[in-house]
Amino acid sequence: MENYEWFLSGIIVIPIVGVLILLIWRKATKKQAATIGIISESFALAIPLVLLSVLRRNDQIVFSLPWIRNMGISFRLSLNWLCLIFLLTEVLVTLTAMIYSLGEETGEKNSNFYYALLILFSLGMSGTTLADDAFLFYIFWELMLLASVLLILIWGHGETRFRVALKYFIVTHLGSLMVLVCLITLFVNFGTANITAWMMQANSLPINTQVLLIIFFIVGFSVKMAIFPLHIWLPDAHTVAPMPVTIILAAAMLSMGTYGILRFPFALFPLENLQPFAIWMMIAGLISEVYGALMALAEKDIKRIIAFSSVSQMGYIIFGLGSLTLRGMEGAIMHVVYHAIIKALLFMVVGIIVAITSERDIQNISGLGFKYPILCVCAAIGVLGISGMPPLGIFNSEWMIFAGGFDSGVSIALTIIVLIGSLLTVIYALRFFGNIFFGDRKPESLPQKAPLALILPTLVITIFLIVEGLTPGPLLTWAMKGLASFIGGLH
Amino acid sequence: MSGIFNIVLPAVILVGGAFILYLISRICNLNNRTESILAILVLIGALLVLINNFKEIPNLIPSSDAHFGNSEPGGIILMPSALSIFIMIVSIIITILITIYSGEYLARDSRYLVYYPLILIVQAGLFGMFLSNNLFNLFLLTELTTVAASALIAFRFDLEIAIKAGFKYLIMSSLGAMMMLLGIYFFYRSTGDMHLTQILESPDNLTRIAAACFLLGFSLKAGVFPLHTWVPDVYGNAPSAISGLLAGVFSKSMLFILPVICLRLGMTREELGMYLMIFACFNMLVGSVRMLGQSQLRRFLSFSSIAQTGYLMFGLGIGFYYDLDQAFSAGLFLFLVIAIMKSLAFLASGVYQFYLRTQDIERLRGEGHRMPLIALCFSIALAGLAGIPLLAGFVGKWMIFSAALVTGDLFSIICLAIFLTSTVISLGGYLPVLIKQYYRSSNTEEVFNNPEPVRVSRWLLIPITLLSLLVVIIGVYPSPWINLVIYVIRWMLI
Repeated sequence: MENYEWFLSGIIVIPIVGVLILLIWRKATKKQAATIGIISESFALAIPLVLLSVLRRNDQIVFSLPWIRNMGISFRLSLNWLCLIFLLTEVLVTLTAMIYSLGEETGEKNSNFYYALLILFSLGMSGTTLADDAFLFYIFWELMLLASVLLILIWGHGETRFRVALKYFIVTHLGSLMVLVCLITLFVNFGTANITAWMMQANSLPINTQVLLIIFFIVGFSVKMAIFPLHIWLPDAHTVAPMPVTIILAAAMLSMGTYGILRFPFALFPLENLQPFAIWMMIAGLISEVYGALMALAEKDIKRIIAFSSVSQMGYIIFGLGSLTLRGMEGAIMHVVYHAIIKALLFMVVGIIVAITSERDIQNISGLGFKYPILCVCAAIGVLGISGMPPLGIFNSEWMIFAGGFDSGVSIALTIIVLIGSLLTVIYALRFFGNIFFGDRKPESLPQKAPLALILPTLVITIFLIVEGLTPGPLLTWAMKGLASFIGGLH
Repeated sequence: MSGIFNIVLPAVILVGGAFILYLISRICNLNNRTESILAILVLIGALLVLINNFKEIPNLIPSSDAHFGNSEPGGIILMPSALSIFIMIVSIIITILITIYSGEYLARDSRYLVYYPLILIVQAGLFGMFLSNNLFNLFLLTELTTVAASALIAFRFDLEIAIKAGFKYLIMSSLGAMMMLLGIYFFYRSTGDMHLTQILESPDNLTRIAAACFLLGFSLKAGVFPLHTWVPDVYGNAPSAISGLLAGVFSKSMLFILPVICLRLGMTREELGMYLMIFACFNMLVGSVRMLGQSQLRRFLSFSSIAQTGYLMFGLGIGFYYDLDQAFSAGLFLFLVIAIMKSLAFLASGVYQFYLRTQDIERLRGEGHRMPLIALCFSIALAGLAGIPLLAGFVGKWMIFSAALVTGDLFSIICLAIFLTSTVISLGGYLPVLIKQYYRSSNTEEVFNNPEPVRVSRWLLIPITLLSLLVVIIGVYPSPWINLVIYVIRWMLI
């Protein structure tokens, strides 16, 4: 095995070491725990970047160790362009959330557990993206769920967090079980859990089995993506979770559903077998988009507004995937990245607003604009970003998603409706911004300044968003390379 | 008397040990801990012989003279099988841990004098049931274990519920024994013999009725729907250590004796497989649904035990119905992990009851930070039973799942759907209990508040920690264990 292949395992091993240190070091203060968390996440961020040059040569890096030999299961990680995008997004979001968390009160006590769980949450996601073995994939997939459930359960707000966490666990676990059914069906048919090996053979399955698998995979992963009507866990979980966890949930974990859909049904089966589902995915996308936006408009709780906006944004992504065109899928991948950045930004803004006003009802907050100009600018950029204003990221991806929709030849009318539906996003975004930052100042007594520890990371993310939006080049190239190696039969 | 003495040596050690132990402790007035250590020594002796026998399997099983006893009419023949040796090894290891546990668990009781000998006798009886090839002999040994087990269940006979539970177990088991006796009658009438050395060549209606009788008898002892009604009352009220032994090993192992007898009596593999799979579905559903909303900790665990009986039956049923070795391996692996996780769950719940003096689930609230290690182990048991990845239960689930999908048959897939439904429903049962341990009230971060911790005795901690470690080790690195199970299945000659 080459040296750089061992490097790959570092993305998994170093965070585990971080967790172990935190579990042993029980007296760690929040800052110390955060340092460990940030260091281990930085490694997880740095390793893929270091491997970038190797990836340019090989297009894929594989790390493989035998594990359960008699069942054909191995500890197999693989890094390719598609993984890279999701991996970097996820690690960056976690890092941001960890830094942001330093500025607010979550996890003041027992910070070691708190940061250990944050690392585990992130580890679950990076493992999910890297795993090239179905058994391993499922383990990481569930780790991600477990860690987030514990975070909500222990540090969540309010009396209801017990029920919310349970509902979140059971609903998403149902989705996971559907995925598990598919994974084991494939495992049984091919006698190995190696996902790359499946890609060669999957087309040899009878067409009925393929259709069933595609349905189960897409529905199973849609639960994680919170596509209407499988979104029921999302608003409550996002609202009850402490802000840093909400940031990771909304910005990073939702995208794992997208990754799953690309990784399994899209990569395994030829696109013509997916064709019958194209229209349904697009319709689901449309309904999610409109429903999420309407709910965001109707909500009064500012955290729930942004939470419902996730349902709406995931609608675009499934719509782009459903178009089954290269452009649509590229758009969907880019949308994942931009949505992650913008959603992180918006939740950070909400977190700051809650911190300074101790209010979450949008009717009780207004006129913050002149008092906190930096916050106002960040919020404005986030709000403009999510409404698809050029050059802020989402404009690029929505453009490609709509182009994919028109290209798909499924239904032009549907694409036009989605396009018009995106106006709703503008409405709820502007309502959110206008209500909070304009008008008479409410509540009366406000602190002099917004907490610097919260403003700084928010500012950094805002700048990052602008940079990303202006230079979509590398991301697009990666997405194209990733799709080219994954999806057969694309042109 | 002829044959290889080593085959019956473990039973001799256990029975002899039981008598000697009773005499010694009677004469010398031993205290509880000394007696538990002596019982452990006896068990270790039996275990060593069994392990030796297990190594000898390649020489032992294929040869026709691997038996012990007298094959003349009226004689008794004992024949080992790889399966029986394996199950006995699992059973004795669990019993050793339970005996260590009892060293402290019985601290407040006075009748430990009979407790340990009875445990040894239950083990010997179980071992004899696996070995016997004579129906009457089987019946006697079943009765022996029943009586010993009901004495153990009613061990705290100053409690009315304990008496009730023991009585219920005795009555229900006697019903099962009556069925067996009836079966013996039919079999004897048809063949004029009571030996069962190989599969009947020409089963007639009488022997088939006999097979049905034995099927019912063993189903009752295993707690198969609709004969499961005694399970919650008995496991719920017996001492935790005994519940762990019965629920984890004893009643589950009945499912492995049942096919051996019924097949030899002329039941076809399809019929047996069909029976197991259909009733497995009932067991899974009833167990997991009734688990929800239970307020007593051990009653809750008993219902989950009914569901697990269903999972086991499902695996074995696929094996028989489709003639699939993979399903047998899955079933046997599941037996192994359920034995570990279930006894762990009962033992841990026993610790709670020992220190809290109640088994009300609501009383568990917040105990997670008074007894952190116990709470962790109990959580491992519950999460393992719920099939959370990286714990042993998940590997078992994965294996059963693959076995059901390999067949590709609609029947097994329908049962699989029920299996899945049951696992999801039971999640709703396990999780709240698991979480409650750490969760006292609605105040944020209450989880980590540290009121005065309870010092848990080492006698209780050691077996529980060992079992939890096993659950994690099997979950993370299942290869050798799967190999072991596959090895046993290869020698399984039914």
